[in-house]
Amino acid sequence: MEFFDLVTPLFLALIVGGTFVGVVFGAIPGMTATMAVAVCLPLTYSLGLENGLALLLGLYVGGISGGLVPAILLGIPGTPSSITTTFDGYPMSQKGEGEKALRIGICASFVGGIISLAALYLFAPALADFAIRFSYVEKFLIILFALTVMGALSNSMLLGIFSGFLGIFISLIGVYDISDGGNGEIRLVPPGTEYWLEGGFALLPVLIGLFGLAAILEEAERGVPEGHSADTVKLGKSSSFSFSVFRGQLVNLVRSSGIGTFVGILPGVGGSAASILAYSNAKTFSKKPESFGNGEPEGLMASEAGNNGLTGGALVPLLSLGIPGDSTTALLIGAFTLQGIQVGPLFIGNNPETWNAMIFAMVIANIAMFAMMYFAIRYFAMVVTVPKHVLFPIILMMCVIGAYTINYGIMFDVWTLLIFGLFGWLVVKLRLEVAPFIIGFILGPSAEVYFIKSLESFGDLTIFFTKSWIAMVLWVLIAGSVIGSVMLSRKRRTATEQPA
Amino acid sequence: MKFTRRTILAAASATALLAQPFAAAAQELPGNVRLVIGSTSTGGDTYQNSSIVADALSEHLGINIKVDAVGATEAFKALDRDSRGTTLMIFHDQSYLGNLYGVRGYQDIFENYTVGPTVAINPGNAYLVPKDSPYQSMDDILTAAENGERVRVAIQPGGVSEIGFSAMKNAARVRAPGSEENIVAVNTGSQSDKNQAMWDDLADVINGSIQANEQFTQLPEDDQKAMEFVWITARPSTLEQAPAEGMGDTTRDELLQYASPETSVTLDGEQDFTFDKEFFFLFNPEMDPAIVEQIDTALTEIFEAGEIQERQKASFFIPNFLPSDEAREHLQNKRGTYEQVIEEISTES
Amino acid sequence: MGDLTQVTIDFETSHLVFPTIIGIMLALLGLAILITRRHEIAHAGAHWRGVFDRMDKVRFLGTIGLTVLYFSLMVPVGNVWPNTGLGFLICSIPYVLLTGLLFMHDRRPRKTIPVVVTALVAPTLVWWLFTDLFFLTLP
Repeated sequence: MEFFDLVTPLFLALIVGGTFVGVVFGAIPGMTATMAVAVCLPLTYSLGLENGLALLLGLYVGGISGGLVPAILLGIPGTPSSITTTFDGYPMSQKGEGEKALRIGICASFVGGIISLAALYLFAPALADFAIRFSYVEKFLIILFALTVMGALSNSMLLGIFSGFLGIFISLIGVYDISDGGNGEIRLVPPGTEYWLEGGFALLPVLIGLFGLAAILEEAERGVPEGHSADTVKLGKSSSFSFSVFRGQLVNLVRSSGIGTFVGILPGVGGSAASILAYSNAKTFSKKPESFGNGEPEGLMASEAGNNGLTGGALVPLLSLGIPGDSTTALLIGAFTLQGIQVGPLFIGNNPETWNAMIFAMVIANIAMFAMMYFAIRYFAMVVTVPKHVLFPIILMMCVIGAYTINYGIMFDVWTLLIFGLFGWLVVKLRLEVAPFIIGFILGPSAEVYFIKSLESFGDLTIFFTKSWIAMVLWVLIAGSVIGSVMLSRKRRTATEQPA
Repeated sequence: MKFTRRTILAAASATALLAQPFAAAAQELPGNVRLVIGSTSTGGDTYQNSSIVADALSEHLGINIKVDAVGATEAFKALDRDSRGTTLMIFHDQSYLGNLYGVRGYQDIFENYTVGPTVAINPGNAYLVPKDSPYQSMDDILTAAENGERVRVAIQPGGVSEIGFSAMKNAARVRAPGSEENIVAVNTGSQSDKNQAMWDDLADVINGSIQANEQFTQLPEDDQKAMEFVWITARPSTLEQAPAEGMGDTTRDELLQYASPETSVTLDGEQDFTFDKEFFFLFNPEMDPAIVEQIDTALTEIFEAGEIQERQKASFFIPNFLPSDEAREHLQNKRGTYEQVIEEISTES
Repeated sequence: MGDLTQVTIDFETSHLVFPTIIGIMLALLGLAILITRRHEIAHAGAHWRGVFDRMDKVRFLGTIGLTVLYFSLMVPVGNVWPNTGLGFLICSIPYVLLTGLLFMHDRRPRKTIPVVVTALVAPTLVWWLFTDLFFLTLP
């Protein structure tokens, strides 16, 4: 059987190695799972699809999990998805229960990862089977739905949707690609820049710029604060952890993982939303909500199960619809295209071995993450003390390699990296949102082709409503997400206006 | 001293000038060569072909050759920038067809570059219909057009995928002037887009390839995805060199049924139109001719040794070595024919 | 009614249709933002002054400056030894060293040793890995 041919020692080593590097990245404040994937992407060019994915999925799982280390020990989220981990993890470590808190977090992460993986395995093929029947019209509506959902879940719907459209707009710069069915003419290219901008901005340099370079620029702006010396890290006694903390927490773990997975499935919504939702739900249903925020293991579990639940969930729309579930999976799209594979409804059916290998890699990555962190947590805790002035230059250099080699040696891609590094820094200052921008940028060209081809084939705007019942359902979902977001923002506004 | 970009550039180019005489004196390929290709895919036919040739050449000459899939526009740019022979290019008929169809970024390769030796043919260019289609042959399609039925053909405009479509229109024109109006293009992109256009009933005929579409021809008729070949554009002499077992479950003899002379799409009422996708080298026009000669000689020896042919055939490519001069003449004639076809159908419409 | 929704797209100009629609959407959304957030936008000047006041200008602008220099030099240097990736290696070593020193707060000689070692080892290792092992093109 071909699947077992894929599971080579190299394959396993790449997963474990990827997980390790991912945890390290996640554990360093200011560095994210997305950055880990961005920086290591060039390593996969010559690895082939399955081996490359093994490495990247390991990085993904590790990167999301590693964030709990500084969150618990320093009160600084290592990645945005571990914000809520600081609420209860940090108080615990201040009480001298650092190691206990870490181990609780690790166990919860593992449960979250495995539950979401099961959901991925069951759900993605079914959704893909369904999506095969989608024509241009339905595909366009799916993208529209993705954009409204991501706008709805932004801090400000208006700014979120604006960022999304800006992403689309920038993705359209350059040629209307013939190989997508376009006419090969260029548009939105300022006169005099045709030589460079003819092909537009390449996806991966843009992503690496937004997630790698921009993060370092932000650190530089803040003066690259010194790392933390070893004595600020309080681990506490190793003996105090026992699995009995989890007694009675099954519902909490499953619910939090489920929320994480669900948020992951929604396109463009990152890990922070997953853990925040899981945390606030756990608080609502808890018997002792008053202890949340003062070192309550229940809250820690909810947060970590939630953000690791994201990992499997975010892959569902990627592998069934070709729409990334979060910014890290957006980079995975790049890794697929690099290997000449188009992700979409046909992916699982056409590449069953790759699909199985991916699931297998995720299982191994979760197990490796658990084993590594559970038993070697004291060493990982030291990662938070690595000096940034050693690390950042290397990251910058890796970003350059990634951008240059991505399209086999185009220097403009390196400049793209710088342009979008600066842009990423500016976006935050302008209070625009990066995640919707990315989703817009990735889906923009497809949205255009689907929209134009729908009209070219049917010649009537009403086709978007009358094509099939699926189209109608999608419109209902789109309207629902817009209305929902308006209500959500109202609620938020009244909540902030009332004194707490 | 102020360290501006300009002074550093000057310093760098001065160093480059100093290094120049050595390179010029050697009059042969440098030790590290970059072979750019006109495709961005590392899984596609251009890449496969180029890496077979690059491997053989680098082994034969004892140099390093890296194949970089930068795509047509970037490949031409890279070639423009470098006349030292450190950058070479391999591409196929798209390089001049793009120019004939007036696609942005395609210049006249015979004027702006040096056309080098051809190395292989991909014989797979084909046209397909749904298995339950009313049209079961090219004749059916052309007759339908003559009878005023609209036949929609899904292609990727502006090159290799369109040339067969242009030929169909031309054949319709020869057969019944005016009927070419009934053969209309559905402009799509990648192969999966073209397949999808057929399955969505947006196209009656699609352009495809033996390699990519043969699997669908094996499906039972009641499967919505089932297709059938109607035309393979390759020259019969090319297809005859393909392995006898053909591709997938379709043998070479079965494939020949869909190619000229069995399936005829006429060029002028007498000859059949054929199209073979040929892969060839392109060089910077200012590159030392001695390098071209070196590559010609090396390839002659490689093809005489006979090993490369086996590798090419194993990947369903037809070995097709012509040294630079012959290749240039052959390709120029080929372009002349297609130029005429494209002119004929555009002037009369 | 039916006629109003009819659209024919001319293939020759189809590249302009979608950008125009998105452009209009952006303008409308921009206008909406302008209206709903006019107070914040009016105070944008103060916001940016605050950003620049709080900024570590040496490190921020220094990073950008070094990066621009690094990118500009890579190709011309690499062109001297074509297709060997040496342009990358030769430019990366000083770049990693200088950014490392720039990010440091305590620049006592003894403390700079790890930075110097990284600047020598990391680019060399990466260069070897990508050109020799992975056979990829570097400038």
